[in-house]
Amino acid sequence: MPGAAEVTLESKEIHELIEILSRSSLTTLEIEREGFRLRLEKSPPEGHVPTYVVRTAEAMPPTVTAIPPAMVAPVPVPATAASAEDAALAVDDGLIELRSPFVGTFYRAPSPDSPPFVEIGGKVRKGQVVCIVEAMKLMNEIEAEIEGEVVDILAKNGQPVEYGEILFRLRPL
Amino acid sequence: MFRKILIANRGEIALRVIWACKELGIKTVAVHSTADADSLHVNFADEAVCIGPPASRDSYLNVSAVIAAAEITGAEAIHPGYGFLSENAHFAEVCRECRLTFIGPGPDVIRKMGDKAAARDAMKAAGVPVIPGSDGLVRDAEHALALAAEIGYPVLIKASAGGGGRGMRVVRSADEMSRHFEGAQNESAGAFGVADVYLEKYLEHPRHVEFQVLGDTHGNLLHLFERECSIQRRHQKLVEESPSTALDDALRASMAEAALRAARSADYVNAGTVEFLLDAERNFYFIEMNTRIQVEHPVTEVVTGIDLIKEQIRIAAGEPISFTQDDVRINGHAIECRVNAEDPETFAPSPGRIRTFHPPGGPGVRVDTHCHSEAFVPPYYDSMIAKVIARGNTRGEAILRMRRALESFVIEGIRSNISLQQRIVSEEDFVRGRIHTGFMERFAPPPKKRAAD
Repeated sequence: MPGAAEVTLESKEIHELIEILSRSSLTTLEIEREGFRLRLEKSPPEGHVPTYVVRTAEAMPPTVTAIPPAMVAPVPVPATAASAEDAALAVDDGLIELRSPFVGTFYRAPSPDSPPFVEIGGKVRKGQVVCIVEAMKLMNEIEAEIEGEVVDILAKNGQPVEYGEILFRLRPL
Repeated sequence: MFRKILIANRGEIALRVIWACKELGIKTVAVHSTADADSLHVNFADEAVCIGPPASRDSYLNVSAVIAAAEITGAEAIHPGYGFLSENAHFAEVCRECRLTFIGPGPDVIRKMGDKAAARDAMKAAGVPVIPGSDGLVRDAEHALALAAEIGYPVLIKASAGGGGRGMRVVRSADEMSRHFEGAQNESAGAFGVADVYLEKYLEHPRHVEFQVLGDTHGNLLHLFERECSIQRRHQKLVEESPSTALDDALRASMAEAALRAARSADYVNAGTVEFLLDAERNFYFIEMNTRIQVEHPVTEVVTGIDLIKEQIRIAAGEPISFTQDDVRINGHAIECRVNAEDPETFAPSPGRIRTFHPPGGPGVRVDTHCHSEAFVPPYYDSMIAKVIARGNTRGEAILRMRRALESFVIEGIRSNISLQQRIVSEEDFVRGRIHTGFMERFAPPPKKRAAD
């Protein structure tokens, strides 16, 4: 393709960039030129929760879509990544991601007949319960760690969620 | 047969179990920490669930996270691999309570064999030879002297809470006893908070020879001969082979019989390994029974032609073992070298990004690995990155194949112990089969100046 060479980096240059990135404390390096974009990422250090994707080759098996009668008293658990130290997780649009602190089944309401803990557009206080993640028959209440407005709810009621999966996006108030 | 199995492990063994499941037509669920999100077991499993952050205690050792992953994916059985939860009786119990099949023996057997003193007592009762010793704690130096006179020097004083060589002293004569006894007690109290010690016969340069056994729920129990694993560094095996050069037919038969007696006394079900120490006078002693699949299982698979992982899965599903004792034959010779991400001279771990990864191939060579070019070796877990298994019609052919396999194994970006493995399989003592658990002392850091090749 004519002109393509002008906007493509030499592989030697790319190797140099990789070296620079691997020696630095950065985890991402992005370079943009006209019609060309290069993004390099490396594994982040421990403690940082990276983004990743739930990957299943087949549909998840059907799971209970309503919470069974509470067998165990709910345990309040702070959400994984909403704490101040994870301010880096704030995405460009100023939203904070609230992630699941463990593997389990996500529930939006305390019981099948109850209204959801939160709705899109609703406000949450710091420490307010926003959902339940059930693991091994234990109902773990997940709390918001900041005050904010619910902009997005990414997990569906009754859906299995992974450790670190994004459950909500909040706009800090 | 199961429709879906969760693999509660990572690395090459997780892949090894996935291969077996694919051949059996079973769907697989991989679990992984955030550090392993891009690893091959995650990519080749039918489903994958992230169960926690990098630290093992929060992910691969997290019982409730693993069980929750099995529940949300609808897995019916869990293969624990080796390490992590594989010999955790509590985990096996939780699996049972949650109606998940643990692919391994029952929790009672795991617990009994995991308690060294209980296992030793059970083996003694079953008529399996154990290392002569104090049968319990030694009260004082006088008691130790009396026991040593009975057993014969040298003897070993060991901390009951011990591990990693701490609180361990070799006593070669009676006049050394009081000094070493107190030393071991003090060291034990300092390291483990308890001064309790016991005493046993010290074997000078023994060999480590273990027998693979398989039991099913129909009462069948058989063995798949031995693996010689004497080449170890700090109790970490480096090179394993089958058959052992130290066994003739008579000794092999009597050790196999003892291994079966050990397994039968525990009503053993699934794959297990009975480990013995073998001294220069051909006396062998039970040391422990491992209630899981072992890292070195491929050498047995290669010489017997039996797929141990598939057999484990069939047994867990309630099927009888698919062959009889008479069907098990050793055909040829197999050697395994463990390739670790570590400096070949200082043994310091070397995690990081692999730039080039070219594993060996060709006739008689098998490589079990989860690594590839551009794979990242995380610093949080075991340093083993590959196992090279070479088979020959004779031991000599297996050694020659191993040498050329190691020579053509290229790993760049991180350091590996391949050059150390090359030195091991080139040693005259190794070639002549003159090996014992002290073999690696010659490679101890700092390395002796090597002659130019």
